[in-house]
Amino acid sequence: MIRLDNVTKTYSTEVTALKGASFDVAKAEFVFLVGPSGSGKSTLLRLMNRQERPERGSVWVAGRNINEMPDSKVPHLRRNIGNIFQDYKLLANKTVFENVAFALEVIGRPRHVIRQQVPAVLDLVGLGGKQDRFPHQLSGGEQQRVSIARAFVNRPLILLADEPTGNLDPATGEGIMRLLDRINKTGTTVVMATHDQRIVNMMRKRVIQLDRGVIVRDQARGVYE
Amino acid sequence: MISRVRYMVRELWASLSRNPTLTVAAVITSTVSLFLFGMTLLIQRAFDNQLRTWSGGVEMIVYVKHGAAPNEVELIRSTLEAQATVIENISYCDEACTTSEAEVLFAADPDALTQLLPEMPSMFKLTPVDKDSGDALSALKEMVGKLPNVIDVATPDEQVAALSELKSFFSPRLLVMALVLLFASALLIWNTIRTAMYARRREIEVMKLVGATNWFIRLPFMLEGLLQGVAGGLLGSGFLLYMNEDWLSGMEALDGEVGIKSMVVTDGYPGWVCLAIILLGAFVGAVGSGTAASRFLDV
Repeated sequence: MIRLDNVTKTYSTEVTALKGASFDVAKAEFVFLVGPSGSGKSTLLRLMNRQERPERGSVWVAGRNINEMPDSKVPHLRRNIGNIFQDYKLLANKTVFENVAFALEVIGRPRHVIRQQVPAVLDLVGLGGKQDRFPHQLSGGEQQRVSIARAFVNRPLILLADEPTGNLDPATGEGIMRLLDRINKTGTTVVMATHDQRIVNMMRKRVIQLDRGVIVRDQARGVYE
Repeated sequence: MISRVRYMVRELWASLSRNPTLTVAAVITSTVSLFLFGMTLLIQRAFDNQLRTWSGGVEMIVYVKHGAAPNEVELIRSTLEAQATVIENISYCDEACTTSEAEVLFAADPDALTQLLPEMPSMFKLTPVDKDSGDALSALKEMVGKLPNVIDVATPDEQVAALSELKSFFSPRLLVMALVLLFASALLIWNTIRTAMYARRREIEVMKLVGATNWFIRLPFMLEGLLQGVAGGLLGSGFLLYMNEDWLSGMEALDGEVGIKSMVVTDGYPGWVCLAIILLGAFVGAVGSGTAASRFLDV
């Protein structure tokens, strides 16, 4: 589903975010990217949805080299990739329903599809009945569920999650992980960058560890070291 | 398609209502600049109307009596053509042609026009080989004045020369001023859109990440700029038509002997100018907002 081939990304002559990173992620796989701040986890995620382009190497998503993809095709690539963030990136002036519907609206989905899919995905993430609330009326965990619903409503092939439990207490974080696990079991590939040792150890999924832009460990059913 | 249109309208309204002061400032600036641009065109046209008789280097007009027979007109023409060393070009304006010129010249003086119409002369317009050869032109004027059926021979007076000077002074300066203001309004629209995009950068970021195309993101902002330009054009047109009517009334009220009564624009020209400035406003608004939207889409 995702393949990185000897990818190097630098932000300036002094800052090298990634050095020669190579790995494959299979369809429906769940992968943790771990490592200290500045190790290149977020850069890896940004390379996978073409927010960044590498200086060297290639990034393949769903069989296509996305570095060579023309800019006009990038929106279509992103419709197959859901994104989840530590700060949720919800729109404060929109309700839960509108936040999730927004993702479908801006890619031109008709109204009847939106009316059908949004309540279904809100039920899936456990927010049925809260669709008329605004983000500030929700807890952190609930806001992250809205963010997951928005990322998943279009049924993407891949979910990229950047520290999704970073702002949550351990119990709420566990709830979010269970939700991501359920989504993963529907066949969606999940790549998650995290610092959360407890969660990585609990899930026992594949772990790719980075250190100063270099992959130092790639372990199936790994733990946080 | 319907959902996209609904989305565009909603986003457009949200954006307009979020920055009302900037929107008003952009509309006012485009109104002033488009009004000035339109006024430049009308002033130009008013000068042209006033100087219409003397356009194209004409230095002498020979008026031929109303109802002169074709052979009598031909006699005058052949006499004029024989003066090839002094006259470079001769053009004949028959009574119908003179009437249409008079309708423009006396647009603000309908009484004078009514008096003239039954006895409307025809005329020969003469362009001299050398307009500064005063003696030769004076001799020509005297000779032509004695021809049968010639009722008058006119030469441009000081007023025409002064108006020509005024026209060449005002026209380019007003045009430059209008273009500078037009550029300022494009900049202000650009800035309004940039501010609107900055205010909505989070939404734009989310839109990009969920796969909205740049055109989909850009279009509501371009529509916003276009609307501001069109609003400026409509308001500018309103002011322009009002000013033109006001000027026309003022000219009509002037004493009939005052020599600037032809400096009015009464045909369909103001309507075309209004259409032009509305389209220009739309163009400036769309280009200003389009470049701003493209420039700041990478948020």
